[in-house]
Amino acid sequence: MSAGQQDGNFKLNLNGQEVVWSGEPAASLADVIREQQGLTGTKIGCRTGECGACTVLLEGRPVVSCLIPAASVQGQQVETIEGLARLEEFQSLMAAMQENGGVQCGFCTPGVMVTTWAWLQNPALFNGDLGSALKNNLCRCTGYLGIIRSAEQVLAGRGAGV
Amino acid sequence: MSELRKKSPADLSAKLAGETRYLHDLNFPGQLVGAIYRSPYAHARILSINVERAKQVEGVAAVLTADDLPSYKYGPTKFKDWNLLAKDRVLFIGDEIVAIAAETKEAAQRALELVEVEFEPLPGVFDPEDSLKPGAPLLHEDVESNKPMQVSVSRGDLEEGKRKAAVVKGGRYYSNRVYQGHLEPVGAIASWSDEEGITIWAPSHIPYRARETYAAGFGLPEDKVRIIVPPIGGSFGAKYVLKVHVIAAALAMAARRHVKIILDRYEDMITAHPRVPLTFDIEIGADEEGRFVYKELTVYADAGARVYWSPNVVSTVCTRADNIYHFGSVKSEGYLCYTNNSPTTCMRGFGNAEMLFAVESVIDEIALELNMDPAELRLKNIVHQGDTTLHGYRLDTCKLDECIEKVKELSGWHRRASLPPYRGLGLAVANHVSGFRAIDPRFDGSTAVIRLKQDGGIEVETGEIELGQGMSLTYARIASKILGIPEEAILVKSGDTGRYPFGIGTLASRSTVMGGNAVQKAAQSLAARLKELARETLGEAADFREGAAVLEGQTYSLSELASWYRARHAGEELEIKETYVPDTDLPDATYFGHPSPNYPFAAHVAEVEVDPDTGRTKVIGYWAVHDSGTIIHETMAKGQVLGAIAQGVGWVTMEDLLVKDGKVMNPSMMDYRMPGANDMPKAEVFFIQGKDPNGPLGAKSIGEVALDPVPGAIANAIAHATGKRGYALPLSAEKVWKSLQNT
Ligand code: FES
Ligand code: FES
Repeated sequence: MSAGQQDGNFKLNLNGQEVVWSGEPAASLADVIREQQGLTGTKIGCRTGECGACTVLLEGRPVVSCLIPAASVQGQQVETIEGLARLEEFQSLMAAMQENGGVQCGFCTPGVMVTTWAWLQNPALFNGDLGSALKNNLCRCTGYLGIIRSAEQVLAGRGAGV
Repeated sequence: MSELRKKSPADLSAKLAGETRYLHDLNFPGQLVGAIYRSPYAHARILSINVERAKQVEGVAAVLTADDLPSYKYGPTKFKDWNLLAKDRVLFIGDEIVAIAAETKEAAQRALELVEVEFEPLPGVFDPEDSLKPGAPLLHEDVESNKPMQVSVSRGDLEEGKRKAAVVKGGRYYSNRVYQGHLEPVGAIASWSDEEGITIWAPSHIPYRARETYAAGFGLPEDKVRIIVPPIGGSFGAKYVLKVHVIAAALAMAARRHVKIILDRYEDMITAHPRVPLTFDIEIGADEEGRFVYKELTVYADAGARVYWSPNVVSTVCTRADNIYHFGSVKSEGYLCYTNNSPTTCMRGFGNAEMLFAVESVIDEIALELNMDPAELRLKNIVHQGDTTLHGYRLDTCKLDECIEKVKELSGWHRRASLPPYRGLGLAVANHVSGFRAIDPRFDGSTAVIRLKQDGGIEVETGEIELGQGMSLTYARIASKILGIPEEAILVKSGDTGRYPFGIGTLASRSTVMGGNAVQKAAQSLAARLKELARETLGEAADFREGAAVLEGQTYSLSELASWYRARHAGEELEIKETYVPDTDLPDATYFGHPSPNYPFAAHVAEVEVDPDTGRTKVIGYWAVHDSGTIIHETMAKGQVLGAIAQGVGWVTMEDLLVKDGKVMNPSMMDYRMPGANDMPKAEVFFIQGKDPNGPLGAKSIGEVALDPVPGAIANAIAHATGKRGYALPLSAEKVWKSLQNT
């Protein structure tokens, strides 16, 4: 970490916990999450906001964390794949993804899961289907259909349960 | 059994929960950051290199030039044209000249900026055909006329075929430079110790071959190089053997610290080793009944500046498709050409998919001329079960005819005549191998170790590599079926040349059949050994079945068997090693042979809609029918097919790594567009079940044959929709639009 004089201490609300990190305010949220907090579930595929591997939830909305300066999200809720994986309902999405072939190499998967999770919470947020919600998440392995089917299955299952 | 749930690094639930640690997620205490100074010129003489100022930068631990390193010529194939770093000359933009290791990325960056290299630019050559012309700049002094390899194949009487031909179609086709598009960028971590030598953490799916190659580069014995393979975030051929692995190793040796190099996406793409671009001159002749009488081919392949796996791609181009039809006679000439473009290598489909794009296009042209249904024309000419193909492949199983019938039914092929304007249906077929003898003429089989653990779990070790295709799940299922125990009790381990049995690695679609047969054999031996163990311990009447020893209605679990074994064998674990040696024949000098234990087949239909105003193609429906023998893991197999469809949609309609004078023009994921979720058509995948006598549980391969027909099927659908044949991939909106304007 270079010790520029702008370095400082910043607060982050990460997966429901307040954490403090220090460094350059312009450091990307993805780097802070991975390097300072050791949460390597957030992946880096391009650093230019194109691949979606680094997707996290910011106040419940999926964002590409490689493009966000970490200091700019102080006081906001950030959730990563590690946080979501603890939730009970997330397990049903994980099971559906295995059953429907939604995962292969797994590199895009955390980002895909984060976006899919956000869509499941509020499909209307994306004015449209999951295909549109996933427009910022590239997957080179699965051909997407398994991912979409998994999410629809979870949504339908949840509807039936109500 | 849930308490036995084993998690391999490739476990899907770990991937879904973000727990899987890829290369990027691994860090070692004291690890340095590596960086590479690369040539800005496509071809230049190096007049001087000055790294004195770079060495002064605070935090820089090592700066290496060619003068600091051994200068063996080495390479992954028989063409030895690699160096560790460039010495006198650079051959492409991105060629490696200086390597730097530093405490931080910033320090490495600053040092890179202070490297001074004086170049004398030289004229370059960028087109494979031009590179063969007299007077073209020579890339490697020891190779005459930029032609490291030439393939000549001929079978049957071509002249006779030509005389019999009533219809002849063909032309010049071109297949593009496709970027493998692995989501995880390329990288490596390396370390050095005097006792162990070099250790490289590299997501390579041919680690043993990589070990051999890299040892040669440093002049070290092979056992002084160890490759550890972390989970691979996608490769499709891009991560076999790479210079970045050896450069990390050189830095680690110099600095005596761990060195990690992760290319950023830009660096990955400007120095990418994409699919080998090919220029085909092809001609196929048929008699008036539509029976093929000859195929003639000349192909120029762009190897770029150095040979990776392109020679093997060219031999595949010149032969593989001849084993799917009875062409009567064939003649192929293939030229592998050096150019000052960045080196090219294999990508899923390995030359076969490219060739089939051309072949399947030409066949549709013949059907059109003969006014024959393209599916009928294919049915008339394809190979069948029991056939020996033109180049000697023995087809113990082949259900290609059934694939064609089924895909017609599923896709509603009869609609073809009555589709609205600018809608089209296209069909293409494909074959592939399940491993290939000539990949390593010394040996093409596989070895598996199977071990009974103290807790009653089973460990399987293989030299083949999981890269997301589902190998671990497949092997677990094979062992589970043989031993009669739940898959969850089986842990599949691989990816460490220091620990696991030797393997050729995962290429040529070999993991299911080669590695799977080894696992099947090892599991069978273990089952037999467990039966013996039960008898030794309990008496002659004891048996072993369904994962337990049984005597007089009493069952004894695997963990009890493990304890018995331990007690009798000085605390050792019961471990069995088996090698599967396939019954294959190395193709001879004329490329005749039986190179694979079995051969998968497929027939695909694509439906497209072309927007006449923009030329944009939307693939709106896709049907894929496969003969891959017994499908061992249906979800993963289906995933392979769907993923291949997406890759094919990208390949044909949008992807093109544009290179101008050796410079990559679109080195970002924004400018190199790959398919997203909304580019994916509705797709249906169907497996014609069967049992191949040479595959584990009857299986054949799926990984590459899933992609092979896709370019042809989509290209044929576009031609059907527009009435215009596209000859050069990708059939981008611009090209299709232009073709629609020249009526
Ligand atoms: S790494 Fe952030 S979008 Fe690719
Ligand atoms: S599973 Fe490999 S990129 Fe999506």
